[in-house]
Amino acid sequence: MTATPDTPAKGPRGWITGRGAWITFLLVPPLVVMTLFVIYPIVSALAYAFYDWNGLRREGFVGFENFRIILFEEPFASTTWQAFKHNIIVFASLMIVQNGVGFILAYCLWRDLWGARFHRVAVFLPVVLSTVIIGYLWKLFFHPIFGVVNQSLKAVGLDSLVQPWLGQSETALAALIFVNAWAWVGFPTLVFLAGLQRIPSELIDAARMETDSEWHLIRKIVWPLIAPSTTVVFILLFIGSFNWFELPYIMAGLDGSPFGSTDVLGLFFYRTAFGNQSAGVQDFGLGSALAVIMFLFIAIVATFWTLHLRKKELDL
Amino acid sequence: MSEAPDTQRGLLATFGRDGLMQIILIANSVLMLFPIVIMVFSGFKSNIEIFQSPFSIPDFTDLSNFTAMATQSNFLRYLFNSFFVTGVSIILILILGLMASYALGRYAFRGSAFVLLFFMAGLMLPLKLAIIPLFVLFRDLGFLNSHLSLVAVYVAMGLPSTIFIMTGFIRTLPRELEDAARMDGASEARIMWSIMLPLCRPAMVIAAIYNLVPIWNDFFFPLVFIQDDNLKTLPQGMTTFIGEFVTNWGVMFAGLTLAAAPITIVYIILSKQFINGMTSGAVK
Amino acid sequence: MKKTFTTATLAMIAGAIAAPALAQDITFWSWRQEDRAVYEELIDQFEAENEGINVSFEAFEAASYATVLSTALAGDQGPDAMMVRAYGAFETVAAGGYLMPLDAESIPGLDSFPAAALTAETLREDGKVYAVPFASQTMLVIYNKDIYDQLGLSVPQTKDELLANAKAIEDAGMFAFANGTATAWQNETIASALASSIVGPDFYAEISAGTTDFNDPRFIEGMKALQEYSEYFPDGFTGLDYASAQQLIASGLAAMFAGGSFELANIQSQNPDINLGVFAAPGVSADDPKLVGVFFDGGYAGNANTEHPEAVKKFLAFLASQEFAQQFANKLGNISPVPGVTLENPLLQDVATLNQSSVPYIFLTNFRFQEPSGSVLIQAEVQRMLAGESDPAAVGKAVTDGIAIYHEPFQK
Repeated sequence: MTATPDTPAKGPRGWITGRGAWITFLLVPPLVVMTLFVIYPIVSALAYAFYDWNGLRREGFVGFENFRIILFEEPFASTTWQAFKHNIIVFASLMIVQNGVGFILAYCLWRDLWGARFHRVAVFLPVVLSTVIIGYLWKLFFHPIFGVVNQSLKAVGLDSLVQPWLGQSETALAALIFVNAWAWVGFPTLVFLAGLQRIPSELIDAARMETDSEWHLIRKIVWPLIAPSTTVVFILLFIGSFNWFELPYIMAGLDGSPFGSTDVLGLFFYRTAFGNQSAGVQDFGLGSALAVIMFLFIAIVATFWTLHLRKKELDL
Repeated sequence: MSEAPDTQRGLLATFGRDGLMQIILIANSVLMLFPIVIMVFSGFKSNIEIFQSPFSIPDFTDLSNFTAMATQSNFLRYLFNSFFVTGVSIILILILGLMASYALGRYAFRGSAFVLLFFMAGLMLPLKLAIIPLFVLFRDLGFLNSHLSLVAVYVAMGLPSTIFIMTGFIRTLPRELEDAARMDGASEARIMWSIMLPLCRPAMVIAAIYNLVPIWNDFFFPLVFIQDDNLKTLPQGMTTFIGEFVTNWGVMFAGLTLAAAPITIVYIILSKQFINGMTSGAVK
Repeated sequence: MKKTFTTATLAMIAGAIAAPALAQDITFWSWRQEDRAVYEELIDQFEAENEGINVSFEAFEAASYATVLSTALAGDQGPDAMMVRAYGAFETVAAGGYLMPLDAESIPGLDSFPAAALTAETLREDGKVYAVPFASQTMLVIYNKDIYDQLGLSVPQTKDELLANAKAIEDAGMFAFANGTATAWQNETIASALASSIVGPDFYAEISAGTTDFNDPRFIEGMKALQEYSEYFPDGFTGLDYASAQQLIASGLAAMFAGGSFELANIQSQNPDINLGVFAAPGVSADDPKLVGVFFDGGYAGNANTEHPEAVKKFLAFLASQEFAQQFANKLGNISPVPGVTLENPLLQDVATLNQSSVPYIFLTNFRFQEPSGSVLIQAEVQRMLAGESDPAAVGKAVTDGIAIYHEPFQK
């Protein structure tokens, strides 16, 4: 142990052991909790995926069989890939809608116009609400006959747009994405805003002297300077999109109604692991295999993407 | 120099731009608040009123939907359970988080970088995907269908971010006070408790808020771990009472309003702390 | 150890004073929380007749019951007696060897139960019955008698008459059918309730025997009829969920609801004044048999590892008795498969009468054992067809191809 400012180079002998014991005392309880309830379950999930399961009972070791079934054997394969496709659509759409609108709003709030504080509180309000509340609320709003959405359209004479939003494959997933963006847009908005507020005002003033184009200013000066905020927002959205479960569960049901057009990996995982009244089996092995695949996909992409974005940050 | 017209044009442009921004902001706030307002209004209406005049202002003295929700469902029980589980979890997160961050932020010892990394790994791991082993683990521990299962998961989920926020903060605290106390012969525990702890309060508030919202709103873990109606937390219980009143929209909206109320009120009062706390993971 | 000893001693002393046998405590698990009071009353009767056996009733939420039960059984903490589901969901429990096999010797009268009821609780691999079947459910059309009377309509004898009735109701400004397809499982109940008579009894016999598949023109004809009926579902019915459909029939805004007999109690509890009737959706011609789809809900089973097998058998025998079934039927509004039970509720008696001409609720009774279950397939495919995104022949093909993955007769 080298002499760092907080370690007196030499203390009484008992003090060293006392210090060691004290640090141990501080670290052991949190380490135990993390090991038992995070590390152990995640490592076990990996192990479970290699076994055959009969209900809740573990049977023989089957190697990569569960992975093969979930990825390449019908009927699982087509469900997996379709769900994965929907996750990608959700992620891409939210990147554009949620983060795009978030940036525009942050940019507007940055000017600190009259009422900015009110707008800031308003945009963040749905973020603190439970997804269950939001899901039920919008499910009632999207009701084909009595819902506020269709009633509003009728009220302004757009009767031709009245439709069963959650009942058609073309609109159901889009409706869910809209609700998610509505609920979460406050998060990127305020993270971007915090990033913007850290830009020294002299930099912006100097840039304004050089260009009249707001677009140019954003593209060349503002965007690169808030890069650290964008990295975090993008990565969190990525993780969230591929874990998506609560909102489709409440609004579209465990089957991803209608006919699987809102099915995502989270729902498929839950159905496989914990069963569904209309399905034949509950299979922890297949469920674990799916969880491991999702986990690896999220971890690998998130890691490389973070490294890539961070490298870009440094380059700028 | 033709500065005057330039400034004028600039002013006009600025004015136009700000006007556009103000319009965007107002439009957005309307879009954000309108659904919430409709939810609250509908809670005071009957089915017929909701279906025929969804946008009208209701009679706010008619509380029948709210009393129906509070008395004919298990709503108050769910609310209490949510308070209990969230409260216990946050307290444990703060205690354990403070212990680890203090050790990591205040002392240099061999392996400290590794320990920090170990905790930070939890930031990237979506614990939802480990639900099957957790389910089996809790079955073996006898935690299933008990609040212990929820508290255990929430503490485990909350620790990494708390340690991340608090270690960073504790490292920035000045050394002088601590060194002086040490000279006076105060024990390490005494230094932590009476000198450092009071200084850590701002970080603890941030960490508490950062964890409060996801724990309070969690739906996934109770869905799997809790079956007894009397043990359900609010988000999970909501699926039950929505099911009970499914044909009475007024009561459903009243239930959603009641369920949203506690966190909304706290948020409005402490909006600044909430916004800082919840975005703190992203804004260092 | 010591505690057990003390308890045993105490029990022996108590037994010596009060009863000839030792007190036997057995637990009984159920997913019917709402039926607690009636079950406890019936259990009191059983305990009065069988001194020394104490039954404690524990109820869990229906949606999570399967998980709770399988978890408990796998951890050797299961109940002594329990309600189990039927068909595939029953097999997942029974195949684990957790249940006590039953026969007419241990359960008097079990052999006189209808064959379809016993099949529901039979493990296919060993052919043994593991539970006493307790109630059947029927897929039919529920209608609002007052609306029918007001418009001068009568119970339809042909498909065209049913369509004409639906049109007359819509012309009068009401919803003909309350049904929506947004909730996946509703598609399966709607299909069974409306199409069974069009498809005809022979098809169901052949599909069970494995001599035809769902590409059969008779089945396709049924799907076509379903499409025609859906013209009279509410506008935007593809976005209408189960709860909303219940609300439309219960509030009197809609005249008919195609679905399960279990809805009768739901609708009546939401609107006690409603005047309901039931009929089987007709076939193409008035001479076609009018069929309803029937399945069994579940059964009462004993734990193979119980400490008190004799007490459990006695309790199961009580649950299989006419004495129990009669009260079960009248107090809880169930249609019991126990022979000789009569129903006080006239509406339920009507359902029981319709049951005499029935076909199985086929995707549950025959194809909910493996993935992809027939139920999951038919639900998604009917939903797709009624949304106008596929056609009847495509439904038959997709369902057949899906089941063919594990069902040999469908493999060509």
